[in-house]
Amino acid sequence: MSVAAHGETIAAVSNYIFPNDLHVHWSLMIVLYPYITGLVAGAFIVSSLYHVFHIKSLKPVARFSLLFALAFLICATWPLLNHLGRPERALSMMLTPNPTSAMAGFGYIYSAYFIVLLLEIIFIFRPVVVALGQKATGGMKALYSVLAIGSDNVSAKAMKLDHKIIAFLAAIGIPMACFLHGYVGFIFGGIKANPLWATPLMPLIFLLSACVSGIAGIIVTYILIMKVSGKEIDVECVQTLIKFLWGFFILDFTFEMLELFSHFYMATHHWHTLDALYSGPLFNTFWVAQVGIFSVIPFFLLMFMSLIRFKDGLLLFFAPIVSIMILLQVLLMRWNVVIGGQLMSKSERGATTFHPMWLEKEGILPAIIIMVAPVVILWLIGKILPFWMDDDGIEAA
Amino acid sequence: MKEIVDIVDIKKEIKKDRRAFIKNVLSGTIAGSLLMVIPAGAALDQRLPEQLPGMRGNDSPFTEKKFAFIVDVTACIGCGSCCVADKNEYNVPDGNYRTWVERYIIDDHDEVFVDSPNGGLDGYTKPRKDIPNPVRDTFFVPKLCNMCEKPSCVQVCPVGATYKTEDGFILVDKKRCVGCGYCIQACPYSVRFLNPVSRTAEKCTWCYHRVREGLLPACVNVCPTHARKFGDLNDKKSEVYKILREPHVISVLKPDMGNQPALHYLGLRREVV
Amino acid sequence: MEKKYKSAYYSHVIKIALILIIGGVLAVWARGLFLPDTMGQYGHYRGSDLEDQRNVEVRNHTNESCYECHRPIRLVHKAGVHKTVSCEFCHGPYADHITDGKYVAKMPVKRDMEIKTLCLRCHNEIIRARPEESIKVVAMPLHLEEKKVNVEHNCNQCHMVHDPLLWVKAAYDMMGLEMKGDKK
Repeated sequence: MSVAAHGETIAAVSNYIFPNDLHVHWSLMIVLYPYITGLVAGAFIVSSLYHVFHIKSLKPVARFSLLFALAFLICATWPLLNHLGRPERALSMMLTPNPTSAMAGFGYIYSAYFIVLLLEIIFIFRPVVVALGQKATGGMKALYSVLAIGSDNVSAKAMKLDHKIIAFLAAIGIPMACFLHGYVGFIFGGIKANPLWATPLMPLIFLLSACVSGIAGIIVTYILIMKVSGKEIDVECVQTLIKFLWGFFILDFTFEMLELFSHFYMATHHWHTLDALYSGPLFNTFWVAQVGIFSVIPFFLLMFMSLIRFKDGLLLFFAPIVSIMILLQVLLMRWNVVIGGQLMSKSERGATTFHPMWLEKEGILPAIIIMVAPVVILWLIGKILPFWMDDDGIEAA
Repeated sequence: MKEIVDIVDIKKEIKKDRRAFIKNVLSGTIAGSLLMVIPAGAALDQRLPEQLPGMRGNDSPFTEKKFAFIVDVTACIGCGSCCVADKNEYNVPDGNYRTWVERYIIDDHDEVFVDSPNGGLDGYTKPRKDIPNPVRDTFFVPKLCNMCEKPSCVQVCPVGATYKTEDGFILVDKKRCVGCGYCIQACPYSVRFLNPVSRTAEKCTWCYHRVREGLLPACVNVCPTHARKFGDLNDKKSEVYKILREPHVISVLKPDMGNQPALHYLGLRREVV
Repeated sequence: MEKKYKSAYYSHVIKIALILIIGGVLAVWARGLFLPDTMGQYGHYRGSDLEDQRNVEVRNHTNESCYECHRPIRLVHKAGVHKTVSCEFCHGPYADHITDGKYVAKMPVKRDMEIKTLCLRCHNEIIRARPEESIKVVAMPLHLEEKKVNVEHNCNQCHMVHDPLLWVKAAYDMMGLEMKGDKK
């Protein structure tokens, strides 16, 4: 055995972990939480690209992505409630939010965003809701009446007012979506005790990966629903989504790698712990899966799909595949950040292990249930608010 | 009714002459059963010596003291008395540690080996067999809450369940903690855990309840080698004040975290994290 | 041709604004209702928790508490080299023995080889991290061989557990010898 260099004394790994660090406190539920809020923020951005930035080709998915965002937003708190040791006290976060806590703002930011999203949906869907309400009977009629806020006025004057409000809501919705998710990144990024989390880039990486996952989620569900229901897919819309997906993914992947490279290059004493982590317990989930398979392959696929005009059939074949890969990339990134960060003991001398169980409270089965729930909710919403009908379509229907 | 009269009588007796009273009880002059009706608080105060002056009977919410905890690494023998006392004081669930003792072994190739089997609760009875080179130095390091001047846990607690008192104690309100675990992530020293019974965050309090009764923290009280020291820095005559004033090798853990712990280590080596 | 509507063109906006205002007022009211009484009394926490914290049960007492009743042990233990060893370390916490001033249970007493295990927990030379100034360590069974006693002997056959040197000193005195390292 060679004589260790002087500086390595402290880093010498004897695999000692602090006795309280054996247990990974934030497990699958906290992996899902930023994943779900990310999907919400990303889907909202898609809708805003149409409603605020007037990317006309995104019109087919503009309304759907709002409902997609709502379905996932409804479930965003579920993993948190399942995770809390004392879920019955959850509202204390809103009752007595600690102004210095990064986590305390979530209740308020979530609620405010929920209200803005709900209002935007109510205003955008109002003409459709009014038209459907006139045809509906019984319970559904009452429901549509509530959704139309008891008003049947869809006159040009009313529509003009509504459009002003929609533009305003969408405009404040973008910074709020960014804030919601950048803020989720800060919950991790603000923890100085954890060298994997403590970086000012964390909110940015979380935000960009959120946009990426939201766009990918919209592509997958759009193509899937259209295929299943036998409707025609708007290829130009998918092409545009793919271009945005590539754009956001370039930024996302670049910053993820830059963050790691900066740590490596500066090589502070933290790097020794991070290095041991990335080359040890995280090697497969980070280097092989997240970077190797689910970043590099989609990166080039997206590049070809954006730069070369694919035949429609080929585009519609690759679009869902690349989107699913991106969705998995983001899920892996959440895993590697949330779980990976906790594997390192604060002793800086070793790592613990984490193996999720199927049936425990925060296990794999509850995680699957929580991920399936928004899809079911989305399907239920689809029974009330039509995904693909726009104002022009009301007369035709 | 008779019982109440008895209690009053007993209290009077105790006040009159405690020593004689207990002597009488022991010699059987007063029926042994009478002793059994002394209410808890009164019995506690009478029997325990006051280890920290001026604390007992002080009902103000905060004391005027500035407490400091000093661990003398050069004196610790790794017996684990402190860990045993701590577990007994709080019935800490197995696998969680409010305090623990680490064993450091540095070999002559500068390799550092650390372990803390069951947090040192069972003591160190076996030598490590996996040290490849001759051992240069070996020592024990007790760990506990650092009672930071700038506590990360208080900063991140979303509901104000973890707080810092004006006299420097960082405490956890069991009735308000939501069990989110954020403080556990934020603490650079990993002194916190989620109590599996109460499902709330828990950590060492420097035995706040004992200190307010004028008693030393349980671990300090039982330490046979006086490796754990506790006292008031405002008291110029206190041992902790003298140690911090004199030119010893004194440090805190992870000083670059900026938490400014009130837990100091005497004779701390740089290998200790 | 302008269609006739039942509602005014702005009615839904007014209703939403009203719902938001009423919801906000209700939330503020509910917050006041559920806010803990002493929240913010001294800072951003429940002030009455200080009282709760003070009421945590003191389960470990001091050796003095034990001496109150166990007089003979007091004389031995307080005078000996083990005077800094806590009674409760070997026998368990006071509160398991006496609660609310009442005798509740017998304290465990270590017997036979448990005693040897307990002694060696601290006095074992093989664990090297033991400062000389703090403790005298021995190697087993070397110590027994050196002292020319049966290697099967238990520690407490020579060392009284509450004052390990009591009998040893007495033996030296009887023989008119001086103990090694004895300053007297």
